[in-house]
Amino acid sequence: MGLGLLALRASRTSLLGRSSSAISRPGFESGNPNFNLVRWIISTPELQKPEAATASEPAAPPPPPPRTPVGGARVHIEKPEDAIEVFVDGYPVKVPKGMTVLQACELAGVDIPRFCYHNRLSIAGNCRMCLVEVEKSPKPVASCAMPALPGMKIKTDTPIAKKAREGVMEFLLMNHPLDCPICDQGGECDLQDQSMAFGSDRGRFTEMKRSVVDKNLGPLVKTVMTRCIQCTRCVRFATEVAGVEDLGMLGRGSGEEIGTYVEKLMSSELSGNVIDICPVGALTSKPFAFKARNWELKGTESIDVTDAVGSNIRIDSRGPEVMRITPRLNEDINEEWISDKTRFCYDGLKRQRLNDPMIRGPDGRFKSVSWRDALAVVAEAAHQVTPEEIVGIAGKLSDAESMMVLKDLLNKMGSNNVWCEGNGMNPQADLRSGYLMNSSISGLEKADVFLLVGTQPRVEAPMVNARICKTIRATKAKVGYIGPPAEFNYDHQHLGSGPQTLQEIAEGRHPFCSALLSAKNPAIIVGAGLFERKDKDAIFSTIESIAKQAKAVRSDWNGLNVLLLNAAQAAALDLGLVPESENALETAKFVYLMGADDVDLEKLPSDAFVVYQGHHGDKGVYRSNVILPSSAFSEKEGTYENTEGCTQQTLPAVPTVGDARDDWKILRALSEVSGLRLNYTTLGGVRTRISTVAPNLVHMDEREPASFSATLAKPETQQKMSKEDFGVAVENFYMTDAITRASKIMAQCSASLLKK
Amino acid sequence: MAWRGQLSKNLKELRVLFCQSSPASAQTREFVQKNYKDLKTLNPKLPILIRECSGVEPQLWARFDMGVERGFYLEGLTETQIEKVLEEVTKAGATFKG
Repeated sequence: MGLGLLALRASRTSLLGRSSSAISRPGFESGNPNFNLVRWIISTPELQKPEAATASEPAAPPPPPPRTPVGGARVHIEKPEDAIEVFVDGYPVKVPKGMTVLQACELAGVDIPRFCYHNRLSIAGNCRMCLVEVEKSPKPVASCAMPALPGMKIKTDTPIAKKAREGVMEFLLMNHPLDCPICDQGGECDLQDQSMAFGSDRGRFTEMKRSVVDKNLGPLVKTVMTRCIQCTRCVRFATEVAGVEDLGMLGRGSGEEIGTYVEKLMSSELSGNVIDICPVGALTSKPFAFKARNWELKGTESIDVTDAVGSNIRIDSRGPEVMRITPRLNEDINEEWISDKTRFCYDGLKRQRLNDPMIRGPDGRFKSVSWRDALAVVAEAAHQVTPEEIVGIAGKLSDAESMMVLKDLLNKMGSNNVWCEGNGMNPQADLRSGYLMNSSISGLEKADVFLLVGTQPRVEAPMVNARICKTIRATKAKVGYIGPPAEFNYDHQHLGSGPQTLQEIAEGRHPFCSALLSAKNPAIIVGAGLFERKDKDAIFSTIESIAKQAKAVRSDWNGLNVLLLNAAQAAALDLGLVPESENALETAKFVYLMGADDVDLEKLPSDAFVVYQGHHGDKGVYRSNVILPSSAFSEKEGTYENTEGCTQQTLPAVPTVGDARDDWKILRALSEVSGLRLNYTTLGGVRTRISTVAPNLVHMDEREPASFSATLAKPETQQKMSKEDFGVAVENFYMTDAITRASKIMAQCSASLLKK
Repeated sequence: MAWRGQLSKNLKELRVLFCQSSPASAQTREFVQKNYKDLKTLNPKLPILIRECSGVEPQLWARFDMGVERGFYLEGLTETQIEKVLEEVTKAGATFKG
């Protein structure tokens, strides 16, 4: 602690010196926006006797000028009569009725220190760090739990408030270990930061600190429970957001501790988020433990590709290595959470990577060759087959640019058999409303009845599931589910397991119909697993008739949704990656796999020439003749469209492995070698080309709704639904693609969390 | 109207791009609204990609064999003129096949 004290003293003198010299300059206070960041720290001796300090206080100094809300927040007051006026540090602010004192202070630009309060969780009010002084109140009040009342005079910067914070800090640190130098939270710890800003410079506690036994929460979350300050954020997160009641508070007083009641792992696919919300180092990332300090890391704002949600992430890297993945705020998509697969798949980026172009020799072994040789072999093989025998398959993780180039190249070769795995052999790509989540992910919160058809959102898209869970908690919305028995973390009715139930609902014979028909905003969510079924047209037309009866598609609400499985699916359908022939694979002689690993290559003729272009030595490699190494999502700039039709892009965080190249560049080079030159040479050129196919893919970070095609008349299908039950689309949540299958952490998760 | 059935024979892909709300795309939206069902019924295997995106000019793109594409801006054209464009494209496609 000696070092900490020194640092504290040094910062104080420098702060005081800076501000005192600055104040002498006129206009400084209003001119410099950084002024708000400087917190006044009152030297401690006066605070040991607050009564004396208040008594001897000189006449009130002029209040500081009004500040802008914390984080640039804006508040919209719907009815002006519902606004109340409160005074924060002497300045009036208008806030809507029902806001807490803490929120009012935030609007007034005062950031109140807090530990237990989190704006997405319920209010606990147990850490007492947010104490402020309110005029005419005998004691300081916990601002997070106190509603703002009209005319309230809140003081956040008075000696009483400061004394209160200092006292709370002293109590919190009493039982908190002094292991900051070996704590992974160090550098991004709320307790560390706030004790520097608001704490005392010494403690008076001389007894033994208490210690708590660590809990085993599984392979993802490391616990050091002695560091816990009992803020209960993790307990509230687990019950309210993740929807599992695994964590809880045990014991009372100094024996109080967080635990799982009985020895049990945390069985949630969102469990990694407790690492972010824990204000101290009690819950940290197990795979990241002792790997890096947060100030050594370079953050790159990117997009997750392990499912179709497109969660916004920050890739933290050090040198050429991805060290961790953390969420980024996006209210419309993932709020501030990400799934465990998104967060912990990164170690798969370092394993099983393809780093050199390779050709399979006559002995069946791969030999590293130069790019020139590898491309020449591929071009030669492509020339020896007829155009109808050429097939291209894009993988789950492909970006829009590379799929565009793949399609253009194969079209130029004369083949029309290009598709993306997961979309089935007869995809409906004409109308965007037919494969997108039309009510948008955040729009699901408006729904009052959900009908899930052949989809298990908990494993297919945990962030969408979290939205449904949130809606159900808030509005008690009803959920009906048709599909194989599955785990849900909210109340639901299992209506049936196959098309027969769907038929009953369409004909109005099912008891769930009454709920569906009386709903104001019914949301029907169809799983993309149905795309692979032979009778999918019939199923979709039945679902459309249900939507019509339930009035789910109107001008103000489109509740007919498709939940996609993979990051590449939406963009592939937008770009029109549709196979011409349903049996293309059975007759293929030249197959171009662009990261496609889950294609059934058994059907392929044995003399077919297979090119595998991808970043991982996964399933697709076993059958391939040539390997072309490409870059993974963390190493390239690529456009992805998520399941609701929002276009986002990844950015390169780390350099590529070995001699790998970006997918689109490899295909462009191949076009040159095979004499079918494509007329673009830059990423910008590819995007210009995309804008003539699907212009929504160049509108970055925007969601282009399919509002027109939703109402378009479609030809009726002659298909009949089969009796076959709906299947499970995702068998193992933790391992769905090449990256997650290569990941050791994901393997540990599958082993320990999936065993029943 | 016999050419409508020829669409899938001469074309590999038909794309209609327009804005969901702009008045410049109104005629194109109207054309798609009235003709999509008929065209799709006659050419069930042909991808007729309807791509809506705010702010784009209405366009019609046809892809023929071997990756050859032709594009037309439809702004200012009436429904009948758009139909004429499509008919010409379909007939042009026949020459590409040879």
